[in-house]
Amino acid sequence: MSVIKEMFFNLISKPITILYPKEKVPIPGAFRGRVFLIDDKCIGCSKCSLVCPAQCISMVEAPREVEFKGKKLARKKKPLVKLFKCIRCGLCERHCPTEAIYLKDELSISGTDREVVMT
Amino acid sequence: MDIFLTLVYVFLFPGFLFLLAYALILEFLDRKIEARMQHRVGPPFLQPFADLIKMLGKEVIDPDGVDDKIFDTAPLVALAAVMTAYLYVPLIGNSPLAFQGDLVLVLYLLTLPTIVLFLMGWMSRNIFSAVGGIRVVTQMFIYEVPFFLALLTPALMAGTWSISEIAAWQQKHLWFMFLQPIGFVVALIGLQAKLERTPFDIPEAETEIIAGPWTELTGRRLAIMHLAIDISLVAGSALVAALFLGGPMTPWVIVPAWLSWIVGFFLFLAKTLAVLLILSSIKVATGRIRIDQLNDIGWKYIASAVLVQVAIVLVMNYFRVSA
Amino acid sequence: MTEVIIPIGPHHPALKEPVNFKVIADGEKIVRLELDISYNHRGIEKAAEQRDFIRVLPLLERVCGICSHSHSTAFAKGIEEIMQVEIPPRAQYIRTIIAELERMHSHLLWLGVAAHEIGFNTLFMWTWRDREAVQDTLEEMSGNRVHYGMNEVGGVRRDLTPSQVNAALARLPNLEERIKKYADMVNNQETMLIRFRGVGKLSKQEALKYGAVGPTARASGVDYDIRSDDPYIAYAEAPWKVVTDTHGDVYGRTCVRIGELGESLKIVRYCLEHLPEGPIRVTTPKAAPKGEIFSRYEAPRGELAHFIRTNGTDKVERLDIRTPTLANWTSVAICLVNQNLADIPVIVAAIDPCLSCTSRITVVNDYDRTEGVITLDELRIRNRARNRRQERC
Repeated sequence: MSVIKEMFFNLISKPITILYPKEKVPIPGAFRGRVFLIDDKCIGCSKCSLVCPAQCISMVEAPREVEFKGKKLARKKKPLVKLFKCIRCGLCERHCPTEAIYLKDELSISGTDREVVMT
Repeated sequence: MDIFLTLVYVFLFPGFLFLLAYALILEFLDRKIEARMQHRVGPPFLQPFADLIKMLGKEVIDPDGVDDKIFDTAPLVALAAVMTAYLYVPLIGNSPLAFQGDLVLVLYLLTLPTIVLFLMGWMSRNIFSAVGGIRVVTQMFIYEVPFFLALLTPALMAGTWSISEIAAWQQKHLWFMFLQPIGFVVALIGLQAKLERTPFDIPEAETEIIAGPWTELTGRRLAIMHLAIDISLVAGSALVAALFLGGPMTPWVIVPAWLSWIVGFFLFLAKTLAVLLILSSIKVATGRIRIDQLNDIGWKYIASAVLVQVAIVLVMNYFRVSA
Repeated sequence: MTEVIIPIGPHHPALKEPVNFKVIADGEKIVRLELDISYNHRGIEKAAEQRDFIRVLPLLERVCGICSHSHSTAFAKGIEEIMQVEIPPRAQYIRTIIAELERMHSHLLWLGVAAHEIGFNTLFMWTWRDREAVQDTLEEMSGNRVHYGMNEVGGVRRDLTPSQVNAALARLPNLEERIKKYADMVNNQETMLIRFRGVGKLSKQEALKYGAVGPTARASGVDYDIRSDDPYIAYAEAPWKVVTDTHGDVYGRTCVRIGELGESLKIVRYCLEHLPEGPIRVTTPKAAPKGEIFSRYEAPRGELAHFIRTNGTDKVERLDIRTPTLANWTSVAICLVNQNLADIPVIVAAIDPCLSCTSRITVVNDYDRTEGVITLDELRIRNRARNRRQERC
């Protein structure tokens, strides 16, 4: 009996489907999406590259000056992430000492080449 | 002039062209109601039409060792049978092709799709289709007897074998839904089983035997068989509406003929939609039962209910005749 | 009708994951069953031997999508016990919350799938709609709908903010009402009753003899739940009870799972309301001392066991995973005999099979038709022979 009541109640109410692409799916702020890097904070310590389980972060040459704990240091390397190999586990974000690499809620990434990388 | 009007009746309106459109509309409404009851959105209006066109254009795969000529023509036979059965049901007044005994003709023609499905299942050299074919025939034996008897009782009470005259009889008396409620319920259950919808979609059980007799149907064969089932939904619900709900007749006679046709047409639409609403609700609210459980329920409850109904009608007839 | 072999799988609409049943049926009654479960083998145990403790946890999460937190918690718990570190109480509560939310979403998923197997698509749509509330909560807390990534050796990775706690608590009353409605529906809906009652009966002796675990065993009256027999994380402090049933058929298993849904909701509510303050992780040494441990966990499908052997380095030496589905397959083969063909999907779905967890390699020797299991050394020998063959050509 309760099934029949609920059936007819559903018939006259609005469906619960999110009508994508007219309506957007709500994504919470803590969602682990694409990887982003803040260049000014990165000190090139390679910890993210060592810790990544999918081995998608490689270090490339990028000599620059970075401010770290009040001192100006000359650093040499920067991480380069292969976005299509990344499994969004967030270990790089967890182990970065300066919080320079982080994951934000960007859900859809597209590219024409398998080796799409993030600088 | 007469022949010309009959040809227009048969081929255009309310004949085959209207039948095609109405079958697709009823399929859309069935899927939409089912989706809305499950709290989903459902397909857009032209979806069944798009499905038909798409399936007609797909590649036809002939399995090894199967006689593809019979595979090609059997769905056409099923389609022709149900389209012919539809012509004898009163839509806008009496059917111009009506004759005494057309009730029997319609009932027999409506069983042809089931037999064709059994044939396809048996002929595809495939264990799933064979099991599906066996289930189709078993189910047919179980529900046909109560279904035929339930549709026979209005004929008994009205004293005529023509569907149009039974519908006209209800114009002067009450609808058979009120005079024979048990028969009405059994007719609806039998119609649900004939159309192989849940809880009786045992031959087509997707999770058990893939698609049963439909497994090896591809391309235009699948499109035509699917269309045949859709049209039998229209023919079946029109038959039940004519026999139990009074068909397109109003309780009083409307004098200008063309006006009575228009009113009759809208009544026909309303009544078949009501039957569809009941059938869709049954489909949404239940799950599939097993073939041996159907055997139990069919013979113990449904057949005995309809026999009780026949006995009541015979008794009522005797008292009416002698009074 | 003589006996026919009906192949169910590896591709079949009833199965969510590939498994091969060869059903030998006589008409509609099943005579015998032959089983092959090695289609989802991915070599995870070997891959886990080459990653250190930080990088192995995301790998172990991906053994299975639905019980991912179970695998990573069982492993992290085992390593913490070898290292003899105690994680802070807030971390234990957070691990419990995620574990019970995972159990809820798994049981709601199962209810939908079981309804779909009997053709009752309405219940399938409704349970999966309610499951979205649990998934939204998990996404807010951990960042993803499956593969939560909350565990670390030494605690949890993320903390729960008060707004997340309040949002989760706000979703619970609606879920509670829907769970009561499903419990009512199982007892009153006619088609569910006649399809589930008396199907796939497993008596208590048979369950104990063939080693069934989880809701499959609890539905036959075996009172075995690791959360109460060998408590870990916060289960000893939250008020809950083990749900058992005496029917032993698919109806009993349904009742057990719906009961467990209610109990999990109580545990989640208690843990969310009584979350203790404090740190969420402790620092652990990089390498684990030499030792062996057998870590048990109550996954949504039953008892999950990780056997871990460490040798003083920062990687495991041997990891062996015994999943609950592997323990339950024998009971399927037992209770399918003499049932109808139409009951196969129902009985298989009733143990909640998760083939991704299960697979172990089986080898069929074409020459003498024997079956066996390949060991690592045999695999090395065959690989070397194959390389030599390829070099020659």
